[in-house]
Amino acid sequence: MSLLKPFSKLPALNTANILLVESEEQFQQSLADSLVEETSVTVNVRLAKSLPLPVKNEESRPRIDLVVFIINLTSELSFQSAEASLKYLDPGYFLGKVCFMVTNARNASVPTERLDAVRKLAASLHCPLLFAEDQTPGGVTNATERLLTMLKVAAGLVPMATALYLSHLTRCTVPPDIDQPSFD
Amino acid sequence: MDDSMKRLLQRLIRRIPAQMLKTTLDKWGRLTAAQKRSMDFTEPKWALTEKLMAIYEENGWTGKHITELEMTYIIDNPNQGMWYAFQLMDPEDDAHSVELTHFKEHFKSHLSELVRPVSIKIKKHTDEAVWIRIAWGDSFSRPNHLKPTYVVHHLQTPYVFVTSLTSKQKPLLSQALVLSTRHQAIKDANLSGRKLGAIRDLLMRQYQQVFPTNYPSPLAERNETVSNPQIEKEQVKCAENRLQMACEAFGDGVLPQLQSSVYKLETKFKDHSNKTMTEREQPFRCVVKFASTNLLESLRHCASSGIASTPVTPLLSSIPLKGRNYFVITDNGPGPSSQTRQTQN
Repeated sequence: MSLLKPFSKLPALNTANILLVESEEQFQQSLADSLVEETSVTVNVRLAKSLPLPVKNEESRPRIDLVVFIINLTSELSFQSAEASLKYLDPGYFLGKVCFMVTNARNASVPTERLDAVRKLAASLHCPLLFAEDQTPGGVTNATERLLTMLKVAAGLVPMATALYLSHLTRCTVPPDIDQPSFD
Repeated sequence: MDDSMKRLLQRLIRRIPAQMLKTTLDKWGRLTAAQKRSMDFTEPKWALTEKLMAIYEENGWTGKHITELEMTYIIDNPNQGMWYAFQLMDPEDDAHSVELTHFKEHFKSHLSELVRPVSIKIKKHTDEAVWIRIAWGDSFSRPNHLKPTYVVHHLQTPYVFVTSLTSKQKPLLSQALVLSTRHQAIKDANLSGRKLGAIRDLLMRQYQQVFPTNYPSPLAERNETVSNPQIEKEQVKCAENRLQMACEAFGDGVLPQLQSSVYKLETKFKDHSNKTMTEREQPFRCVVKFASTNLLESLRHCASSGIASTPVTPLLSSIPLKGRNYFVITDNGPGPSSQTRQTQN
């Protein structure tokens, strides 16, 4: 099975590489355009619909510092595709180099079970869960800034901070009464 | 008699929207220059109606002129009401050489033999379509001009498009069409829609088609949205394949604006978690309807973005392939009938 490995390649100078995985391939494009505008660091963005990644890109692919799974809460397919892609990541990534980003959380048509399921997934893998708004340029900029913060740490460009340390602070937790019915 | 014609004119003017009234009257061309100048199109509709009634008296128009005006309006704005497509079957040897005068004479004579009285008006449009307006009457009443049937036929093609036809009138019209176009039968093409242009383009394949090829470079080049070298797509090949298959199934560029597609299922219920329904002997009947402002565009996007699996299932690809949007699906016999489905008329 072709696992994506976190440390099997050498890093490049002042460069950070991020992989955006999104089943719908919409938000990742606008995020990518916004991410490459960063000037202090060279950000390379790789876009994928799901894992595993094609083997023929193996040679040219740089070391991926952060893998972001973008899940659209209004689509069950999006969640299932992200879940299915998880098994193609080397376990080494789950020490702070994976993050979940969720869109459309405010949408009224989203069943609460789906958001709970995403939360439980993120909590069980000790990964942070970010909420993003993808329709406005402000929302895209906001999401970009948060990803860049995490990316710089994960790429080792921030002194005195490592991805594992940051993930201890930012990881998603599930409240103990998540399975109780809520007061909607 | 005159009264009913006046009422017809009134209803017609009321039906034509104010902004189209001037262009329609100009196209019709029966007003003299002086009369045209005297019409002030900023007045309210009732004032214009009264003016036109006065001109009606002045010019001595008859019902023929009014129906002509109505036809002019409908030819320019055909997208009102539902159009149904029919296909003529089994052409005779001389079906391919039927030309306009022959068709006109024969259609009029055949239909008049079947229905009397009837008012028929045939007009050839610039784009090779023959428009027929039929007002039906019976032995007790004159032709009813308030509910005419419109028929569009392209000569030497087997396609006919009809709107506002009742089930009583259908066999009469079918007979007249079959005889005058030198075919032996006519059948329902299972295609209907509000936009005449769209169903005509779909049936006659007048949109850009894509054929399977070993070198799909034109589509691949068009997909170059990522120009920044720092952004790289991992699964470009898959995306290109999906786009190619979607375009092969549905076509490229602008697609005919079909609005709905209906599947009538008469298959056995299959759900392992629901024993009571699965054990029933009779087929489970249900109707699935897809509706959209541009259905083919949406389906093509579904296939190219991966929501619908590729290669595109024949249930969806037969909409453009067979040119129909009404399907009846039944099981194909015992065994793994969930895999084998058959569409039938």
